[in-house]
Amino acid sequence: MLNYVLRRLVQSFVVLLIVMLIIFTLPYFETNGILAPAYIVLGTHATPKAVHLWGVQNGMYHPYFVRFWNYLDQVFIHFNLGHSYKQNLSVWGIISLYVPRTIWLALTSLVLTVLIALPLGIFQASKRNTAFDYVATSTAFVLYGIPAFLLGILVLQFFSFGWPHLPASPPGAVAPWAMFTDPLGFILPVLTLTLLSIAFLSRFMRSAVLEVLVQDYVRTAKAKGCGRSRVLFRHALRNALGPIVIILGLYFPGLLGGAVVIESVFNYSGLGIQTINAASTLDIPTVLGITLLVAILTLLGNFLADVMLGVVNPRIRIERSGQ
Amino acid sequence: MSGLEDLVPPHLMMDAPEGLDTNLSDVVVPMWRQRLRIFAHNKLAIASVIFIVALVLFCFVGPLLYHTNQTDQATALNNVFNAPPSAKHLLGTDSSGFDELGRIMFGGEYSLSLGMLAGIITIVVGTIYGMISGFLGGVVDTVMMRILDALLSIPLLFLLITLIAVFTRSTLFLIIIIGVTGWFGNARIIRGDALLIKKLEYSQAATAMGASKWHIIIRHVFPNSMSNIVTVATFSVADAILFLSTLGFLGLGIPAPQTDWGTMLQEGSVQQSNGFWWEIYPTALLFVLLIVAITYVGEALRDAFEVRLLER
Repeated sequence: MLNYVLRRLVQSFVVLLIVMLIIFTLPYFETNGILAPAYIVLGTHATPKAVHLWGVQNGMYHPYFVRFWNYLDQVFIHFNLGHSYKQNLSVWGIISLYVPRTIWLALTSLVLTVLIALPLGIFQASKRNTAFDYVATSTAFVLYGIPAFLLGILVLQFFSFGWPHLPASPPGAVAPWAMFTDPLGFILPVLTLTLLSIAFLSRFMRSAVLEVLVQDYVRTAKAKGCGRSRVLFRHALRNALGPIVIILGLYFPGLLGGAVVIESVFNYSGLGIQTINAASTLDIPTVLGITLLVAILTLLGNFLADVMLGVVNPRIRIERSGQ
Repeated sequence: MSGLEDLVPPHLMMDAPEGLDTNLSDVVVPMWRQRLRIFAHNKLAIASVIFIVALVLFCFVGPLLYHTNQTDQATALNNVFNAPPSAKHLLGTDSSGFDELGRIMFGGEYSLSLGMLAGIITIVVGTIYGMISGFLGGVVDTVMMRILDALLSIPLLFLLITLIAVFTRSTLFLIIIIGVTGWFGNARIIRGDALLIKKLEYSQAATAMGASKWHIIIRHVFPNSMSNIVTVATFSVADAILFLSTLGFLGLGIPAPQTDWGTMLQEGSVQQSNGFWWEIYPTALLFVLLIVAITYVGEALRDAFEVRLLER
């Protein structure tokens, strides 16, 4: 097991280095050259001399690999993601202000999704091809076809402008515990993100359980006289949970991406709105810093999913540790 | 030349068992026609195809019949903002004074064509990358797959936003970035195909006869993974349209004189609390139906190509 975990850890680290190389290299392709950000920092009327000085101060003239080395040193040794071009804050400062709000949003809806989507998928699989299954499946299908922002617009229409007059956006304060002091404003964003995830996850759960239900060991269990619920919970479910664990790990980035859109619809001041604002004001260090953070979270999610899968399923653990 | 009798000498013919169809043209049908037949049996898939074709006609031919001004704001305005539907403006006007029905056609042209082009880029790049990686195997495969892991671990929306921050925005640029960021998943699927086909007898026979790697990739691996490529391409187009509209909604989409459905929905949502339904619902309905239709066609294609389902 340790061998397996270590192997995956090294792999994730290599992938992280490649991610950092990609993120670091992107500004080199900037339309107006690597010094273009100088005009954002110093203003559009900056003199060539000032721009040059800015380039020297920020080490822009070093060779590519020296700059990459400095970047790695800056991130790994000093935990420094750079300074925002637009806000008088370090990128790390912006992240630590807004990331808790986004994590709250994502985690709350993830917990709700798991609590709703898993039983729903199991129920659908066990009642396959009944009216309930058809209704649930086609609802999920249509929900899956609705982009996140449109679902947000519809939710606003029905629950905020309609009769249950819920607040259209959560309070503007950035305190992460605002969810407990003023829960009403959080209902709609969480609801929207949860609906989106349920549409995605219940379909997976349904097909995972269905796939297991046709296996030989389920037939054997039925043949030896196990009851319906025992077959479902003791034999089928245990084996269907494996794929779901992976999906949850892989789904996390999707959830963050969804959170960006949801934050924008409901004006929820979190990481997503910060990213979009930074992108539209060309605040490149902020965008790159947030992207790196999200990539690290994603890699962590994948890593944990793989480890969990190794715990659940010994075959994978042995197969992937190389022997 | 239709019956089995024409091909088999009479003295070798046995009486066919009762109920067995001996008409060869029914038994040996070209592969693609079998697939097409399964596809055509799927009523919803046919309805989806008809809907997509109708929508394309509506967006591209519609403006020839329903003349509206969609580019020149100064003359389009006429001081009629947010007007409800009337005989003059069948679906009313939007917050800039553009005729909404014409706007849907105009925005639809961009959504459809950009989505299509970006989808094609994703499938071409994904196919080439996946095939090379899967077929060559070994160190090349490992390196290519780790790079793919890295690309996949940056959530797509963040990657797109980063690219938009770095480059100057234009229509062509949007096609390219959505295409360039959309192929990662496709490459995985096609690589799986290439790995599988490489091990099959006909590829090995070709290798034994001295065929070069590129020859095998082009003549054997590519045609035999065509079914997956077509299916994946369908989903890619839907994804590209979705991402384009999401970017449009976030205000990072097609720049001003042009528009797409995502940008239109964003503009409509600003007016939402005023109850100007015509600025949201017609566009939203067409959009959702389009995505559901494309997804459904993709699923039907996947069913049609699934060999196990051939004997339905």
